[in-house]
Amino acid sequence: MIAELEITKDWRGAFLAAWLTVSFTASPLAIEAAQPNSAKDRMAATADPARKPAQSDLYDIQFKEFRLKNGLRVLLAEDHRAPTYSICVTYNVGSRDEKPGRTGFAHLFEHLLFQGSENVGKGEHFILVQNNGGSANGTTNADRTNYFETLPANQLELAIFLEADRMRAPNITQANFDNQRLTVQEERRQSYDNRPYGKTYEAVIDLAYDSFPYKHSTIGSMEDLNAATVRDAEEFFRTYYAPNNAVLALVGDFKTDVALDLIIKYFEDIPAQAPPSPPAMTESSQNSERRKSIEDAFAQTPRLDMVYKIPAGNTADWYALDILGHVLSSGVSSRLYQKFVKEKELALSAYADAGERRGPSLFWLSVMARPGTDLAEIEKLLGDELVRLQNEPVADWELKKVQMQLRRQRAERLYSTRSRANALGHFAVYYGDPQLINTIWRKYESMTKADLQRVARLYFKDVNRTVVTTLPKSAAKPQ
Amino acid sequence: MKLGQGNHSQIFSRWKVCLTGAAALLVAVFPLQGQESVGTPSSRVERFNKAPVSREILRVKLPRPVEARLKNGLTVLILEDHRAPYVTLQLHLGAAGALFEPTDRIGLANATALMLREGTKSRSSVQIAEQIDRLGAGLSAGSSFGSPDAVLTGAGLSDNFDEWFAVFVDVLLNPTFPADELEKLKQRQRAHLREQRSSSGFLISERFNRAVYGQHPAAQVSVTPESIDKLTRDALVQWHRERYEPGQAILGIAGDVRAKDLIEKLERHLLGWKKADVTPAWPRDPAPSTARRVLLVDRPNSVQTTLALGNIAIDRRSADYMPMVVMNYILGGGASSRLFLNLREEKGYTYGVYSDFSALRYPGPWRAGGNMRTEATEGALREFFFEFRRIREEQVTAEELEASKRAIVARFALSLEQPARVLGFAITTQQYGFPADYWDSYPARIMAVTAADVQRVARKYLNLDTLQMVAVGDASKINGVLEKYGKVEVFDTHGTLLGGAQP
Repeated sequence: MIAELEITKDWRGAFLAAWLTVSFTASPLAIEAAQPNSAKDRMAATADPARKPAQSDLYDIQFKEFRLKNGLRVLLAEDHRAPTYSICVTYNVGSRDEKPGRTGFAHLFEHLLFQGSENVGKGEHFILVQNNGGSANGTTNADRTNYFETLPANQLELAIFLEADRMRAPNITQANFDNQRLTVQEERRQSYDNRPYGKTYEAVIDLAYDSFPYKHSTIGSMEDLNAATVRDAEEFFRTYYAPNNAVLALVGDFKTDVALDLIIKYFEDIPAQAPPSPPAMTESSQNSERRKSIEDAFAQTPRLDMVYKIPAGNTADWYALDILGHVLSSGVSSRLYQKFVKEKELALSAYADAGERRGPSLFWLSVMARPGTDLAEIEKLLGDELVRLQNEPVADWELKKVQMQLRRQRAERLYSTRSRANALGHFAVYYGDPQLINTIWRKYESMTKADLQRVARLYFKDVNRTVVTTLPKSAAKPQ
Repeated sequence: MKLGQGNHSQIFSRWKVCLTGAAALLVAVFPLQGQESVGTPSSRVERFNKAPVSREILRVKLPRPVEARLKNGLTVLILEDHRAPYVTLQLHLGAAGALFEPTDRIGLANATALMLREGTKSRSSVQIAEQIDRLGAGLSAGSSFGSPDAVLTGAGLSDNFDEWFAVFVDVLLNPTFPADELEKLKQRQRAHLREQRSSSGFLISERFNRAVYGQHPAAQVSVTPESIDKLTRDALVQWHRERYEPGQAILGIAGDVRAKDLIEKLERHLLGWKKADVTPAWPRDPAPSTARRVLLVDRPNSVQTTLALGNIAIDRRSADYMPMVVMNYILGGGASSRLFLNLREEKGYTYGVYSDFSALRYPGPWRAGGNMRTEATEGALREFFFEFRRIREEQVTAEELEASKRAIVARFALSLEQPARVLGFAITTQQYGFPADYWDSYPARIMAVTAADVQRVARKYLNLDTLQMVAVGDASKINGVLEKYGKVEVFDTHGTLLGGAQP
């Protein structure tokens, strides 16, 4: 029930092709047989919790893949490390799919899917999950919507049932619709309107993007939320919430054949729908700098946000840019922290990140100045740091740092079933390739120092950037 | 809990059969526009009890760490877990926390901990940062206000554990507290002072903690310009020398290590860490406020009112602890609690509303609150009071009680995913001197809580006459609402009393 701020890629051709094949496949077992590289053999080996994995598969997450007759893509990662499991159903719909005048709808709809379905009462979803020792939530971003539960292993059937029931037949009444509209509006107030710098994110994406899909925020505007109707929900459900437009990932302590039987039992008779038409993601290239200054009634100190348009996630250039983001701002040793916070003492914090989207993404730099600091000085120094990336190769230790952080992330992920289920859904829906969960680190490792310099030169150009300054509103300044 | 009747006739599955028909029905039955201004929407929680649920609770036995005491008195807990090539460390320095700092040295404990990373006899601040980051490890230290502990934590891969653990030991034993780095830290803290006042979350905790804790050190939530000025290198050096005492510390290690080898290694690495003679003086326990207070922080332009309502209740070793866990779960412990179902799922006043309680070595407050849209402040307060009264005046039903106890016990299974959490249970056992089987018998003690117990603790601690009521929001819009609950003391966002009753 969270609208995510930062998001994500476009592998559109391959992705849609995959969905089309999915819809008309025969039996799940036939599909497994058709996949000689399935993780079947290796999986048997991980079934012993006491066993320490061999070095070669230390970090790998082994899973099997199935497709139901209705096109639902199913990823099962049996793993008996803990007596728990997580399910994550990721739908190929996000705020980029919304229509003008209905911003915020994908996220509002996600809320509605917690309001009951044919066999689950309003509010009963959380009650059932929590009273049986589990936790649940859903999140929406520009590129996808996901729903997930984590439960003790003896409640395997419960979450499969709950996810199927709402995919099949959500029960959305006008009263529930109105209630969740109010709730989402409070989420907007809490996360944006009542908080310092709450307007900045929307100002930046609105200025940087030209096309509607990424130009608006996932939380949406109050006006559009007010305009939304139950009839919109009907159409949205029919268009996007079909089994052939979703991926189900299940990770944890279960027997694959038992879990698959349950998934077939509850999901397979949910009818497929015609695949939704993809949103128009064209974003023309930018040829002059864009600039804006906004006032913020709560902010006590100025903030600089500077973004550059970059390609979608899972492209060679995006990986190179993501490494640059880490070099600039990951950890206390990072360039921006050392320069702005420690050495020059100009900032409270400094941050850089190659946002991962399925379509045109943004490399985002953000510096929170110390009170009374001149943003022009910060902007000049930030520019110097980007020029340095263009002119000098990064140090060996900086590259090593990024690789080690990736390894650590992969190791940590082995504990959490939820983290793995969500990641499988992410890679499957964004890029049509859940195996990226095991192979993505190679993409990072294949990047050379020359690649990093090349992308710095290609994308960190003045004409390709958008700069937004957020200043404390004079009236709200302390006496 | 009384569950309302739902409108179960309009389900989306029918649309697949007859789309136009179902949609037309909806339009006919309900107006399409929102009902924000026309009272309470009839959006009620309902239970069909059709989902397949195993009636059994998965009973889990928490693994117990290996315990050892080093020659210098340090207690070591090691939880071997080879599921992932990963290790986490947490060192609780039980005499070095902010709770024990002198009243004229606010922030000393945290500054001492933060400065550990800023230079040692053999490493500069930058070298420490680079080495930790290059290893893909994490290292942090701090001491929050009200905590008896300073805590040093580390995490990273097991195959380079020796390397990052060496840095962990170095910052613990050999910090030099360089004067120039201390000046930079103080500058960073000064810069944050103003920035934090923009957040309603900071303002509510500042005012609420002052209200409930009174003279107790936990009333403090932030350093001040004056306290920052008073931090000197000598004071930090002395705090580290006297207070970082192994005999009153617990080192917890969870993950891909071999306990036996590690203990030998610890003896070697921590050889230079000597016992010190220090007896922390525990401040006098905070007492519950005896009269209601209504405190308002005026934050102009707010579109929500942030509320915190509560009072001092129990400490961690109280006999009322288990009933409080159950009572709090029912009242506001999560998305199936009474407050959530009422204020969010039925009324739509808020995105989230919860209650919790803090129980440490000394009594802490129970507290309920959340962010409510400004216009709903009055309704929210009415519903908070309704729920407080209801749990005081009516016994919870057998069904609600059983479901809640079951939820609390069943969720133990999830903690088994994270070795650091399992280790956390063992550290709690140590810190509070609980018997070794504390967590094994915890489920039985939760299941033994009765409806009468729940009502008894609700009556004892949720006292409306002595409630400390704090709101952060636009005073011009909510002052009148708050006045119905008592004389309102109004503060600005800088913490200055503007008017109303004297504190």
